[in-house]
Amino acid sequence: MSLKLRAMRRWLPKRMDTLTLPSARDEAWRWSDMATLEAAREIKRVAGHVGSTARIGDGPRLVFIDGYYDPDFSEPGDLTLERVEFTSTHPLGQFAAGQGYELRFPPASFTAPIEIEHVVVGEESHLPLRFVLDDDAVVSVVETYSGGGWSNRLSEFSLGKGARLMRAVRLLQDEGFVSIRDEASIGEAASYVATFLGAGGMGSRIDGFLRLDGVGAFAEMGGALLTRGEQKQEAAVAVHHAAIEGTSRQVWRAVAADASTASLAARAEVARHAQKTDGEQSLRGLLLKRTATINLKPELEIFADDVKCAHGATVGELDAKALFYMQSRGIPEPQAKALLTHAFVADALDRIGEESVRDAFKADADAWLEAAL
Amino acid sequence: MLQITNLHAEVDGKPILKGLTLTVNAGEVHAIMGPNGAGKSTLGYVLGGRPGYEVTGGTVTFAGQDLLDLPPHERAAAGLFLGFQYPVEIPGVSNVQFLRESLNSQRRARDEAPLSGAEFLKLARAQAGALEMDAEMLKRPVNVGFSGGEKKRNEMVQMGILNPKFAVLDETDSGLDIDALRIVGDGINRIMRAPDKAVLLITHYQRLLDYVKPDFVHVLADGRITRTGGPELAHELEAQGYAQVAA
Ligand SMILES: Nc1ncnc2c1ncn2[C@@H]1O[C@H](COP(=O)(O)OP(=O)(O)OP(=O)(O)O)[C@@H](O)[C@H]1O
Ligand SMILES: [Mg+2]
Repeated sequence: MSLKLRAMRRWLPKRMDTLTLPSARDEAWRWSDMATLEAAREIKRVAGHVGSTARIGDGPRLVFIDGYYDPDFSEPGDLTLERVEFTSTHPLGQFAAGQGYELRFPPASFTAPIEIEHVVVGEESHLPLRFVLDDDAVVSVVETYSGGGWSNRLSEFSLGKGARLMRAVRLLQDEGFVSIRDEASIGEAASYVATFLGAGGMGSRIDGFLRLDGVGAFAEMGGALLTRGEQKQEAAVAVHHAAIEGTSRQVWRAVAADASTASLAARAEVARHAQKTDGEQSLRGLLLKRTATINLKPELEIFADDVKCAHGATVGELDAKALFYMQSRGIPEPQAKALLTHAFVADALDRIGEESVRDAFKADADAWLEAAL
Repeated sequence: MLQITNLHAEVDGKPILKGLTLTVNAGEVHAIMGPNGAGKSTLGYVLGGRPGYEVTGGTVTFAGQDLLDLPPHERAAAGLFLGFQYPVEIPGVSNVQFLRESLNSQRRARDEAPLSGAEFLKLARAQAGALEMDAEMLKRPVNVGFSGGEKKRNEMVQMGILNPKFAVLDETDSGLDIDALRIVGDGINRIMRAPDKAVLLITHYQRLLDYVKPDFVHVLADGRITRTGGPELAHELEAQGYAQVAA
């Protein structure tokens, strides 16, 4: 289907002109591609039809065009979007401060997978969203970014006791830049799982901070970044164990072709009192060309003593022996490379629990591979 | 079917094949024996087109075409199968996925319709069954965690599914237990013993040749065929060793 856009120009708040973008001199932003972000702001807004991604299921659908909720294209079902104010001190998150939306999920509620679509047709758009899950609420969300321009999202997640949130986010913009700032507070025995796929032509910064606030909380943030051409994508995420018996998983895969750059920085912090923490961090990169770059920065900051934290970070190339083995069986080289790369990326995408969502994300990754190899 | 003439090849600048000549006709089974490091696996890799194995002289004609001119996957589509001495592990890619992609790539290259998932599974199960391999192993990642013998058996299941015209089997017998040796031997006969097919068996031992009776036995030493005979040559080699027989 396609979305027809009104050729209406929305004015951004004046104060944003006074905000400045983060500088590469700042350690936390040294791999960031702010030049592409700046250029994305200048991409001319086009009115007319914008391709929209196919639906995965038949749950509620929320469509945001240029950062604004569009009731015409949305099918919210029982969901209500409440307008609330946001503040942020995060270097990119602050651009999205101001009026945004909140979604509340009542205790022990179950919601069919919610599809959130961000369609951006140029220039910049900023969207702050808050998810509040009351005790034992179960929510699954699929988010898709398409179009061009700079799409900036600030998200806050609050999970009550025993709540479960499963998020799958795909960055499929043809051009421009997607920046995501996630902040989560995860309550007792609650579970937050977010899996990202960067498979578009845009630059990106996926930035997150997950706090395990309740006893026995589970936090996971991971995914796959696929870059080609001169593209740069980046994930910079941290989990903070603030309570005992928490578990965290950070499984990230980066695949870089041509002269592109994919960067992964993941940090796990364990507070002094957060005993019996179980943390796992796996960062792996695959260079499809020697002219590509992959940066990995795994960090552990552990102040408790009774902690199990496994971590690994490696960058490699496709296994030449496996490639020849596959070719000797009749598989042409590009397909052999695609199969091996698909397998590499699957480690991260297999964390998506919902089969239809996982399949859709893998199909996006395969489409990328077909174009890149 | 296959004519190798005065083949020279090197790896990392080191000459390994030094003027190898060999003709295999349809319907024949040839065994190649020879000391470690003689160049037997190199011959297989050169026929398969492995990168890094550089042909510096000679010709190879397969079913009327210049084999060396084809990329590896087209050699497979033309009917060549290479049974690896050390089958490769491919984490994250299941046997089923790998073999279906292999077969359908070959079929597409030959302008044949690809098999559907169901058709392929039926074929794969039948071939696994014929080689007494548990069909569950088809779902596992290619060769990952397989024992040495299981890997070799899996090579033969692959051969059964791909149904090639010409197979180079590099020490397919090594690593097999006594029962597996018989099963694999029967499998080679079943799949490859036909008037329009041929096999090149690379082996160190007589025992596989008890099951798969060769028409010719060659000794490959220092990059050349140094002696050719009938099945009795293998017995002679086993009794006396290469130093005596092929010097
Ligand atoms: N990359 C390489 N660089 C240098 N020499 C190599 C390389 N690969 C193979 N060789 C050499 O080529 C020679 C032939 O090896 P090949 O594997 O063909 O022997 P083979 O006859 O199959 O031996 P085996 O019976 O032990 O399997 C050996 O001396 C080996 O060391
Ligand atoms: Mg060998």
